Amino acid sequence: MSEILIKNANVCDPAQGINCETMDICIKDGKIVESVSANAKVIDAEGRLTMAGGFDGHTHSAGKINVGRFINPNDARKNLVPGLSGQVARTEKTRAQVGYNTPNTYAIGYRYAKLGYTTICEAAIPLLAARHTHEEFKEIPILDKMGLSLFGSNWQVMEYIRDKEPEKLAAYVAWGLRASRGYGVKIVNPGGGEAWGWGKNVSGLYDPVPNFDVTPAEILMGLAEVNERLQLPHSVHVHCNNLGKPGNYATTIETMKLFEKVKPSRDRQALHVTHVQFNAYAGTSWRDFETGAPMVADYVNGADHMTFDLGQVIFGPAVTMTADGPVEYANARMLHEKWSNQDIELEDASGVVPLFYSPKSFVNAVQWAIGLELALLVKDPWKIMFTTDSPNGGSFVNYPEAFTYLMSAKRREEVISGFSKMALDRMVLPGIDRELDFYELAVMTRSTQSKMYSRPEKGNLKAGSDADIAIYDILPGQIDPSIEYAKVKKAFSGAAYTLKDGEIVVKNGEIEATPKGKIYWVNAKVPSAIDSAMQKDIDVKFKKYYTVSKANYMVEDMYLQKPVEIATEGVF
Amino acid sequence: MQVVRLSLKEANKIPIEADDINPDNFAGKTEEEIKAIQVWYGNSQYPLGEFFNVKIEGSDSVENTKIVFEGDVSRVKRIGQNMSAGEIEINGNVDMHCGFNMRGGKIVINGDADSWLGCEMAGGEIILNGNASYYVGSGYRGESCGMRGGKITINGNARDYLGEHMCGGEILVKGNVGLLPAISNNGGKIVIEGNATMPASEMKNGTVIIKGETSDLLPSYKEEGTEEVEGVTYRKFVGDVNVGGKGVLLIK
Ligand SMILES: [Zn+2]
Repeated sequence: MSEILIKNANVCDPAQGINCETMDICIKDGKIVESVSANAKVIDAEGRLTMAGGFDGHTHSAGKINVGRFINPNDARKNLVPGLSGQVARTEKTRAQVGYNTPNTYAIGYRYAKLGYTTICEAAIPLLAARHTHEEFKEIPILDKMGLSLFGSNWQVMEYIRDKEPEKLAAYVAWGLRASRGYGVKIVNPGGGEAWGWGKNVSGLYDPVPNFDVTPAEILMGLAEVNERLQLPHSVHVHCNNLGKPGNYATTIETMKLFEKVKPSRDRQALHVTHVQFNAYAGTSWRDFETGAPMVADYVNGADHMTFDLGQVIFGPAVTMTADGPVEYANARMLHEKWSNQDIELEDASGVVPLFYSPKSFVNAVQWAIGLELALLVKDPWKIMFTTDSPNGGSFVNYPEAFTYLMSAKRREEVISGFSKMALDRMVLPGIDRELDFYELAVMTRSTQSKMYSRPEKGNLKAGSDADIAIYDILPGQIDPSIEYAKVKKAFSGAAYTLKDGEIVVKNGEIEATPKGKIYWVNAKVPSAIDSAMQKDIDVKFKKYYTVSKANYMVEDMYLQKPVEIATEGVF
Repeated sequence: MQVVRLSLKEANKIPIEADDINPDNFAGKTEEEIKAIQVWYGNSQYPLGEFFNVKIEGSDSVENTKIVFEGDVSRVKRIGQNMSAGEIEINGNVDMHCGFNMRGGKIVINGDADSWLGCEMAGGEIILNGNASYYVGSGYRGESCGMRGGKITINGNARDYLGEHMCGGEILVKGNVGLLPAISNNGGKIVIEGNATMPASEMKNGTVIIKGETSDLLPSYKEEGTEEVEGVTYRKFVGDVNVGGKGVLLIK
C-alpha cells in the first residue's frame, strides 16, 4: 500500500470544473482518493500548475512509424528540440535514444512522459499488421496505450455493406477488434485505399469504390451503425476523403453533416474527424489555395454531434504516414521525395513520405495557420483534441511550442511576421486575437480525450481516477502566457513531476522510473450464431486471398502487456 | 603555433570513437586537459590519455593548432569530426568517418582511409596520400546532401559510391574509382583521372570529369557534342534524364 499527498497543487481539472485552484491531491495504490493517512509521502507542488496526465488521442507511435524509421534513417540524428530529440546515450534508468520525428520506441515513452503525457492512442492499426503494432507497444515504456483498427477499405466490410448484412458486419468489426486488439474503428479515406490498388482514388462521398459498388458515404454510415450497435467506447474515427486537396473543406463538412443522423449509443460524440487541418482547404488548385477553416469552424460551432482534432503543422522536417495511399503518391511526386507504398492485402493501402514544412512556402504557412484557426475559431474546446497528427504535421515533442501559439497572440504575430504577403492574403489567423488559458488547454489535451474515448478514469483528477498527474513549473496567477510564452514552453517541455499510476516517473524534467504501461482493447460481444456465419465468410477470404492463415493473424495474449479488456455488449 | 602529438600506447582492436579529437577542442589546452578528454571505446567512455601518449608544444588559437598522429590509427574513427580550422596530420592509416562534417582547416593522411572520408563536409581540405574506401564525401543513410563544400584530393584509388549525394565542393581522384561514383549528385565537381564504372547515376546537377576509361556508361544520358577543359576535349553528356537531371558528365 503506497500513499502520496500532493500538497499545494494549483489544479486545473476541467472534468470537475476546477480552474486553477490550490488544493491537495491524495493518492493511494495508484488511484486518486479523497484522503490519505499521515504516513503518506508528501510532494509539495508549491502552487505549481497541476493537471491530469496528458492524453494524446491521435498519434502514429507504433507500427507504421517503423516504415518511417527505415525510409528516413537520417531522422535518428536530428536534434531539433534539445532534451526531447536526437541521440541520447543510455543511462542507469533509460535506454539509448535516437530520433526526432520517428524516435525509437523507448524514446517515445520517455519523451511523452517528460511532456507530462501518460496515455497515447495509436491512430492506425492495419489488422494484418497488428502484431507488429503490439510488439512496439510492448517496448514503449511508461505510457498506457490503445490503438484504432482500420476498417475503411476492407473487402469484407465493403461486401457486407453492399449486401446489406449489418449484423454480420457488426460481427466482423467485433472480430477485427479482437484480432488486432484494437480500441476503436478507424476509417481512412473510405474506399480510397481499395481504389488505390487499381492506381485510382475516390473523388468524394458518392464516388463508388471500383469492383465493390459501394460509396464512401455508405462505408461511413455502415460502420457508424455497427459502431453504435456494438456500443463501442469510441465513435468512428474518420480521416475524410480528399485529404490534402484544395477545396476539400466541402467534403469535410459534407462528411460531418452525414453523421447528424447517427445516434451515439453512449455519452459521447457520434463522429470524430481527425487532423482536420489537412481537410480544411479552400480554393481549386495550389495556385488559389486558401484557408477553409472559417467554413469548417462555422459548421462545427453549430454542431453538437462531433469532435475533431487539429493536425497542427510544425515548421521543419516531418514524416507523413497514412493508410491514404493515393495521397502519399501525390505527395512524393509533388515534392520529389522518398516514397514508401504498401498494399495491406484485403484491407487497405499505406504510404510514408518525409517532407519539410517551411514558413517561406505559402502553402505551408497557410497550413500552419489553418490548424490554429480551427482551434481558435471553434468556440467550445470540448469539441477539440490538440494534435499534430504526430509526426504527420510534426513531432509530438513540439507540443509545448504549439501551446504557445494557442496561448499567445504575440507569439503567433512573431511567426506570422515571417510570412509572405501571398500567404497572409490566404489566411484569417492575423485577425484572431483569442488566447487560450490553461483551463482550455487542459480541455484540449486531457478532458476531451477522456470523454471521447469513454475512459472516465483518464484525463481528470476525480477520486477513483488513475493517479496519472503532471505538475508543471508554472505559477498560474503569476504568469502571463501571452507575454511569457518562453516560460510556458519551457515548463511544458519538462514536467516538474509526472506521476503514472501514482509512481513518480519524471522529476524536474528527467526520467525517474520506467514502469510498463497498460494496453486497452475492446471485446464486443456478438451472438454466436452471427459470429459463426461471419467466420465462414472470412475463412473463404483467408483460403483464397490472404498470405497468412487465420491462426497466425490473430494477436494473441502473449503480445499484450498488462492488457485491460473493455467488454461491450452488442445489440442485436 | 600549438602542436599536439598523439601516439597510440598500443594498437587497439575495438575502435576508439575520436569525435572530440579536433583542433577546435584541443586549442589552448594543456597536456593534462587533453588527456582528460573523454572518448568512446566500445560501450563506455574513457579519458583519451588511457590510449594515447600526448605531447604538446606551445599553446595557440584553433587556426594555429596542429594535431599529429604518429603512426597507424586504423581503428580510430571520426578524427577531425566537425573541425572548423587548424590542421590534422595522420602518419598512417585511418578508420572510418575521418573529417565528417568538417567546415574548415586541413587534414593530411599519409596512409589509407577507411569508408566515409569527408562525409557531409562543408569546407576545408582533405589530402589523402593513400587509397580511400567506400563513400568518400557522401551523405549518411537517408540524407539528400552529402559533401557541400571544401575539397578532397585522393592521390591513390577510391572504391565505390564516391561522392554520393554530393551537393557542392570538389573531389579529385588521381587513381581509379569503383562502381557508381557521383550517384544521386546534386551539385559539386568530381574529377577522376583514372577509370570509373557507371558514373553519375541519378545525378541532378554538378560536373563529373573522367579522364581514364569509363565502363558501363548509363543509357540515361544525352550526348551533347564536346567540351574542352584545360586543353583536353571530352565527349559531353547531360543527365541523368531519369530524374530530369542537368548534370554534366565529361568522358573520353
Ligand atoms: Zn493520423
